[in-house]
Amino acid sequence: MNDFAAQVQALRPPLLRFARNQLRNDAWAEDAVSETLLAALEKPQSFGGQSQLKTWLVGILKHKVIDQLRRHAREATILSRDDEADLDDQLFVDNGHWREAPKDWGDPEHQLRQQQFFDVLELCVTQLPPTQGRVFMMREWLELDTAEVCQELAITSSNLWVLMHRARLRLRECLQDRWFDATERPR
Amino acid sequence: RCRHVTRLVLEAEERPLSATERLGVWLHMLICKTCPNFARQVRFMRIAMARWRSGAGPE
Repeated sequence: MNDFAAQVQALRPPLLRFARNQLRNDAWAEDAVSETLLAALEKPQSFGGQSQLKTWLVGILKHKVIDQLRRHAREATILSRDDEADLDDQLFVDNGHWREAPKDWGDPEHQLRQQQFFDVLELCVTQLPPTQGRVFMMREWLELDTAEVCQELAITSSNLWVLMHRARLRLRECLQDRWFDATERPR
Repeated sequence: RCRHVTRLVLEAEERPLSATERLGVWLHMLICKTCPNFARQVRFMRIAMARWRSGAGPE
């Protein structure tokens, strides 16, 4: 195996984790990563060395992930019970006020300097219900706009907004519990 | 109510709010002690996701 192939192959684990985060299906993720590695190995001259190898591979992977979502669009939008659960009733009392007031999370610049924060963020994203997770990652990681996500998954913009609303509320709850409350507790 | 403002704050991440919606949120934030923290949390998550996307995070 030449140097380039070895370097590409060594990046398989992080690529697989990215793909699993996005696709929520191990088989689809394996396929997306295999197609990415094949594309890289078949055309190594496309890598100009102007970016890091990982950045270049992630760029290819994003396209392969979208291909997988297209291929499996019907399955990718099946809602689980968790996807359909509405957090609003847990967060608000009957008169529309907060059950528990949102806390001050402090300065993002300070928190985001800590590598462990991103471990927790990734964990929280992986714990989103499957369809919410896919839609959230399509918007936030693949950076597709509303129209593109709706077209790829054949859902309405209203459906998308509801899924994103629920995903963000869940992510907020998870970060509060696993990062902000956890770092306040004495160790 | 806070519940409605929360929904609008999150929708603003997905689509431009109308002038009436923005005014409603703005006026609510003036008198509410809790919702401004929620809006800051949403901004925090937006910044965190942008950092993650640009390569910060677990190797």
